[in-house]
Amino acid sequence: MAISPLACSAFPVVRRSLAVIAVAAALAAPLAAQKPAPIAFDSYTLPNGLKVILAEDHTAPVVAIDVTYNVGSRNEQPGRTGFAHLFEHMMFEGSAHVKKGEHMGLLETAGSSAFNGSTIEDRTNYYEPLPSNRLNLGLWLEADRMRSLDITDEKFHNQREAVKEERRLRVDNQPYTKVIFEEGYKAIDSATCWPYSHSIIGSMADLDAAKTSDVQQFFHTYYAPNNATLVITGDFQPADAKKLVAQYFGDIPRAAPPPIPQCTPSFDAGARRERIADAKATLPAVMKYYTIPSYDSPDYPALELLATIVGRGQSSRLNRALAREQKVALQTQVFVDPFGPRRGPGPFVFLSVANNGVSIDTLDARLTDQIAQLAANGVSDEELTKAKNIWRAQAINERSRAMSLAQAIQRANLFLGSPDRLDSDFDRYAAVSAADIKRVASTYLRPSNSYTFIDAAEAAK
Amino acid sequence: MITARSKLSSPTMILRAPLVALAASVALFASPAQAQFPTTPPPPAPIRPTRLPPIREATLPNGVHLLVVESHKLPVLSVNMAFRAGDFTNPAGKEGLAGMTAALLTKGGGGRTAEQVSEAIEGVGGTIGAGTGPDVLSVNVNGLSSDKDLIFGLLGDAVARPAFDQKEVDLARTQLLSALRLQNSNPSAIGARIFNRALYGSLPYGKSSTPASVQAITRDDILGFYRDRVRPRGALLVVAGDIDLATATRLANAAFKGWTGAPVAPPALGTPVAPAKTEIILVDRPSSVQANILVGYPAFTAADPRQYALTVADRVLGGGAHARLFTILREQKSWTYGSYSSVSDVRGVGDFTAAVQARNDVADSALVELLAQMNRLRTEPISAQEFADAKNAITGSYPLDLETARQLAAAIANARLNGLPADYVTTYRNRIAAVTPAAVQSAVKAVVRPNAALVVVVGDASVLRDRLAKIAPVRVVTPDGTPAVAATPAAGATGAASAASPPQVDASKLVASTDSSTILLQGNPFGSSVKQLQRSADSITVTERVVLGPVMNQTTNITFSPKGDVRTVTQRGSVQGTPTKIDATYANGRVKGSATTVGQSGVRNITFDTTVVAGTVDENAVGSLVPALPWSKTASFSIPVFSPGEGVARTFTMKVTGTQSVTVPAGTFDTYVVEMSGGQLPVMFYITSAAPYRIVKTAPVGPPLEIVLVR
Repeated sequence: MAISPLACSAFPVVRRSLAVIAVAAALAAPLAAQKPAPIAFDSYTLPNGLKVILAEDHTAPVVAIDVTYNVGSRNEQPGRTGFAHLFEHMMFEGSAHVKKGEHMGLLETAGSSAFNGSTIEDRTNYYEPLPSNRLNLGLWLEADRMRSLDITDEKFHNQREAVKEERRLRVDNQPYTKVIFEEGYKAIDSATCWPYSHSIIGSMADLDAAKTSDVQQFFHTYYAPNNATLVITGDFQPADAKKLVAQYFGDIPRAAPPPIPQCTPSFDAGARRERIADAKATLPAVMKYYTIPSYDSPDYPALELLATIVGRGQSSRLNRALAREQKVALQTQVFVDPFGPRRGPGPFVFLSVANNGVSIDTLDARLTDQIAQLAANGVSDEELTKAKNIWRAQAINERSRAMSLAQAIQRANLFLGSPDRLDSDFDRYAAVSAADIKRVASTYLRPSNSYTFIDAAEAAK
Repeated sequence: MITARSKLSSPTMILRAPLVALAASVALFASPAQAQFPTTPPPPAPIRPTRLPPIREATLPNGVHLLVVESHKLPVLSVNMAFRAGDFTNPAGKEGLAGMTAALLTKGGGGRTAEQVSEAIEGVGGTIGAGTGPDVLSVNVNGLSSDKDLIFGLLGDAVARPAFDQKEVDLARTQLLSALRLQNSNPSAIGARIFNRALYGSLPYGKSSTPASVQAITRDDILGFYRDRVRPRGALLVVAGDIDLATATRLANAAFKGWTGAPVAPPALGTPVAPAKTEIILVDRPSSVQANILVGYPAFTAADPRQYALTVADRVLGGGAHARLFTILREQKSWTYGSYSSVSDVRGVGDFTAAVQARNDVADSALVELLAQMNRLRTEPISAQEFADAKNAITGSYPLDLETARQLAAAIANARLNGLPADYVTTYRNRIAAVTPAAVQSAVKAVVRPNAALVVVVGDASVLRDRLAKIAPVRVVTPDGTPAVAATPAAGATGAASAASPPQVDASKLVASTDSSTILLQGNPFGSSVKQLQRSADSITVTERVVLGPVMNQTTNITFSPKGDVRTVTQRGSVQGTPTKIDATYANGRVKGSATTVGQSGVRNITFDTTVVAGTVDENAVGSLVPALPWSKTASFSIPVFSPGEGVARTFTMKVTGTQSVTVPAGTFDTYVVEMSGGQLPVMFYITSAAPYRIVKTAPVGPPLEIVLVR
């Protein structure tokens, strides 16, 4: 069933009555006045397909580099899951002119410590903040590994072990993470949308079965300039930066355009339920997954704000109702797309941990009740204003550092289509009304669109 | 998000076959002939200057120095108010007063309760906080510039009109005590505290909070401290962000309306005296498998021009994963997970220290190496590569630490209050870049005195003392800093004697009873405990059954002689599905048995057959004996304990630290507040102050867990 996109009006231009105008003005105007100055972008593409986005800012002598490859777990094939994430490990293992371990050593000596990489369903990024006089070092390191990553049997086997160890620590050794990292993906229909229906960390069996040549093939297919975007923010001179980019990246050959993952989102697949045995679950938890559309959907801002209203902090709706008043839950969290934005369907998740002595089915019933009330009654203007304030403060604060700004630019570019969407996002979120919240709650948070996981130490409870 | 880091190891790069070149266009972007791709990392470009936003100053009528760091880049606002009222101003016997006063400033004032303050600031997506460091007491509020009225209003409420509600005072005291006790079970924190006390003695920087000093703080003390020290004249208000001087002045004056006065003179900081020769203070922490070692010397004030050179030396020695200490002690010798050094940043005379946490069997070697490496900085010029790397790392990270208006405001406030010159922040990088190897050696020579180091080691004295005594004279102390009676190492028995004495057990007070309790996690029911005591002609039996959600359950049976001596302990249970058991028999001054336990590293099986001192109580039986102990307001017991789960002997200290009225499901009781230490975590017991002495509440310090009596 297709969810028809609903038009999201920006500033309501209402001529009906003064009262309505006053209300609209009161709600919209102060928010509009609190947008930061728009960012001036300079975007271009090299002949080899590398997209470059520059955003200059001379406030502090720092720069940040973020190289995002348009590859993530969604690009994997059945039987070859976990590759994108494994790849991220491989990228730190050395390239033609950088010995293993040298990448981190060079960055630390340059004064950078907040460098890293990350893999999500849709993309893999590599980033480093630096003092501005070391822009050349950061770009050189990124270029060397893009052009000449050293993939050997030894490195592949070592990193495969590292991934397994990471899985043990993150997925197998903590409560509830088994659902968040793995089981939760079942909520997406694998028949119509396989790319988003499997985990990022992947199956250990698939990784064990993989050969070094598979890894090399993955590199050649996806780690190419025509499949990447380079963002530089901060204190640089555009002419110098462009010269460096041309010198370091210009002659890296392009690859054939990689295949595009196929996914047809489906909603309302019927209420599904499953009990997951989780030895680490000190207390059982109910986790309810609802399928929501992609990050660029007109409904997305309302869904994000809804998650804040119902689940963020002690005084949020669900914590007040289920923890403090009814005492059935120890605590409740609500989140959307736990790993990051997507260009496909994703989860809206309620995670509620039960108090001992409370049956998990009771908690599930109470939670379901609360969700139904949301759909029926919506939220108050006050709750919505507070959620918007929190969103806005975060959106402004992410611009205060070159590194977080670079990542935000990549996000807007990849998921919304252009870096300019970062500025227009302020209007997009400001325009969400209480009616929108009620609408998305009743559209998406319905039992027919849910997958409930009971996560408990003894599954047969 | 799933992230990755590569593992560091010695590199052996295998060049792979070159990529088959695709038909790539080498048409260049419109620019001059492109240079080749460099085969080595490109060298640094010239450092670009740190251009601060304009800083405007004014002095308000009430004497506050206002600094405005104006930056309209983003519509954000950060206000940071600082007073020379840090921990150094704590009065003797009430250490912790400054910190507690700071914490309370944001917990209600100007007509708002604590909850209303946090809802007001969170409702606009902002933050508020307050605290102390050694020199400074500060309050900060952050948010969007459109909320400037609220931000300044909340600041004014905090500094000019705090309510110091009694309920909040009590809550702050409890939280501070909790934090303190948790900190005191951390060997690094214990070491730092003992080190400071040894270095500074009775000078202000040498004092630290203790449970007794915090318990002694009353609301009147807080009001007095506030009145004496949190006053406008001479205080610093740094405002950074989207605002101008005129607006900041207007808002500050309105926020501070009616608040006047100058603080009393702060105590003189004094100058610490370096030890005449190296002495090792060994803080006994029985059954510790590691030694936390701290070596240091008094050094410079923050404003001393030699501080730049010392900072470079510190980076070379122990500033990170490429520094000497890490490379030698971890990478080369595998003695530790990490070793670092640091230079303190205080207005008075600070210190230069190096630290390592090492296994017991290599603790002495690690200490020798630490001393040697610090000395090496005096005697041996630093290599050109290390020198350049250290300076680059410092100058490189500096702008990243000053990127936002908020970071800048904090750095400026810090510099001003440390007595540093006005251009300190702008010129820092250049001054570091200008440090010469000769200046480094000269600075180190002024600080590192060979054979006159101050050394603190926290660890098991019975294992470490003799080994360390080969390096320098050793003085053993308890974690409180009081001299310890020399521990006699004996099989299975460790532990320092404490000032408390072993108690007389009056077994007639152990009467048949059944106590049921609920176990609360974060205030919510999570488990239960039922304890039943029965008497017969020739024995006393206690059976306790504990259930902790689905994660743990166990049943313990203890038999005592009619005099209250433990005879046998049997425990059966499971932890997350894994069976556990304990069997121990006490007879003729010995304990014999076996145990299967589940800990952080998995399942552990042990057996034991060892002597125990007279009066030893099994760890599982301590709670059962509580009714039989002679409680009073000043009671303090030292109980020799054997832990069958670990196979080690310990000393538990149970000390009455106060009285409190406690309400639990079973009723409201006047209780003695008893702190028990010596186990893995300190535990608070609330024991009825009238006989029969029952434990109505138990709370381990740290985890949000409580056991409350139901009936």
